Amino acid sequence: MSGEVAKAAPNELQHGPRADLGRGDGPFTPRQLARIDEALTLSSRETGLVFSVYVGELKPPTRAHAEALFEQLTDNAVLIAVSPGQRVLHIVTGPVSAKRLPNRACALAALAMRASFANGDLTGGIVTGLRMLADSAGSQ
Amino acid sequence: MSIVQTLLVFVGIPAGIIAIIYVAVYGKSMVRQPNRYRPGRPWEYAASWYVPHPDAVVDSGAPSPSGTTPSTTAVGGASGEW
Repeated sequence: MSGEVAKAAPNELQHGPRADLGRGDGPFTPRQLARIDEALTLSSRETGLVFSVYVGELKPPTRAHAEALFEQLTDNAVLIAVSPGQRVLHIVTGPVSAKRLPNRACALAALAMRASFANGDLTGGIVTGLRMLADSAGSQ
Repeated sequence: MSIVQTLLVFVGIPAGIIAIIYVAVYGKSMVRQPNRYRPGRPWEYAASWYVPHPDAVVDSGAPSPSGTTPSTTAVGGASGEW
């Protein structure tokens, strides 16, 4: 396992390993970060889509903010935006990824994620959502 | 029994037992918080955006570096609240 999650601040999307993450400042422990990293990497490699996970506040209207964040990505990207404070999650697909992931598949993943989030399991919900989306999209 | 002995037996021992039970119950969550999110509590962490490692992305669809203009539009997806 690579062990680090590439992290980007909103509006300045970066990629690449950042080893200084997960030492107590962020919301996730190093083990939780490793789980998210594994799920992100595996689902992206398996499907050929670019999955990314945003965790933080979304300005109302939250859907519009999530879509604005998505517009910084590429056509084959899938954005999972989670706002734990507002108890809202959005899955956004683009022109290419929407063909692989119909809205019904996204809704199913969102349903499973909601169940985990309502139990307070943020990491589990994100990992479950990524796996379900990757399974729905299938291998390329 | 002197006053010191009385205090030790009737105050010190109960206080010690209470402290042991308190540490046994709350100690783990005082030291580290493996799951810091509780539904309904405010979320005070800075926003973070996790993307896969570039070498995991097969084709050239890697997220563009910072400073680029919007490159795609949202087509579909789903939403949820909990």
